[in-house]
Amino acid sequence: MSQLSDEVLKVSLQYLGPAAERFLERQTKSHLNGLAFTDLQKSHIPDLATWVRTSASLIIDKKKAEELATRITRMG
Amino acid sequence: MTPWQQSIQTKLTVSFIVLILVISGLTFVFTYGETKSALKETTQDELKALAVIIATQIDGDAMAAFQPGDEEMAEFIAIRDQLDTIRSSNPEILYLYTMRSVGDTVEFVVDADYGIDDGAAIGDLYDEAGSDLLAGFTAPSADSEFTTDQWGTVLSGYAPIKDSAGAVVGLVGVDMDSSRVIDRQDFIGNTIFVVIGIAILVAGGFIALFSRTIIRDIKKLNETANAISMGNTDVSVDVERKDEIGELAESFGRMVASLKIMMMDPEDGTK
Repeated sequence: MSQLSDEVLKVSLQYLGPAAERFLERQTKSHLNGLAFTDLQKSHIPDLATWVRTSASLIIDKKKAEELATRITRMG
Repeated sequence: MTPWQQSIQTKLTVSFIVLILVISGLTFVFTYGETKSALKETTQDELKALAVIIATQIDGDAMAAFQPGDEEMAEFIAIRDQLDTIRSSNPEILYLYTMRSVGDTVEFVVDADYGIDDGAAIGDLYDEAGSDLLAGFTAPSADSEFTTDQWGTVLSGYAPIKDSAGAVVGLVGVDMDSSRVIDRQDFIGNTIFVVIGIAILVAGGFIALFSRTIIRDIKKLNETANAISMGNTDVSVDVERKDEIGELAESFGRMVASLKIMMMDPEDGTK
């Protein structure tokens, strides 16, 4: 796992719990042209943050989803 | 639903109420007791001070010369009227009189009530003189406790009366009705009672508010947990607090989020 993937995962775990990696894997595979989450690069961060904002708001509170997306955006 | 007797809200409220009542009760008993004795001491000091002032105004030479039957003498009437005037201007004084020591006995000399009410005449013995009264022949003193005699229950102050040569010829006694002192004590007691009562009401209000918000949030978490345990994942944890319950809600929210993620992705059981 790249260092960036690891950092994104650490932040996401605080919001999504143990299934965070599974969630992120699904986001990159479905919305970033089949990208493996472990291969995440800085250039992918804006798109990933957008999709996290949308998908996470279906699972957790909208405010929390926005907060998570913002934190991911800052890693780009 | 948890029966009300077993709910945390009931236990919290009852515990706090018991705690407040115990603390308030102890505070009341201690404060009232201390205030009561302090008030009595103040009253004793007032009576002593009053007796000293009155003693200096009495003609000791004339008083020393009075014998039984002298009640119609102008000097006697002057001192009696003087005492009566002082008593009238101090509504808290019930009886005002002078006494002298004759051998082992104590007798009245001038009583402010003589000829006006059922006052004592010159030479009438007072058989119930206690150590506090006898001490008044040498220095200002006051009864340490209420004394009860044929005239009622009073708290008294005493001060020696001296003649022109400075020799003690008797004492002046100032009696305050016990009901006056008790009224003062009751006033203080009632004030303390009201203040503690208001404090209990305010504390009770805070406790009710505090326990209600805690229990409300615990109930929300409980309802969410119940819904998930019944297979409903379309729930959210909307408890926002900065305390331990808030931390519990956050942990719970993460758990719910993970459950939802796993339930939304049925084709892969591991990742």
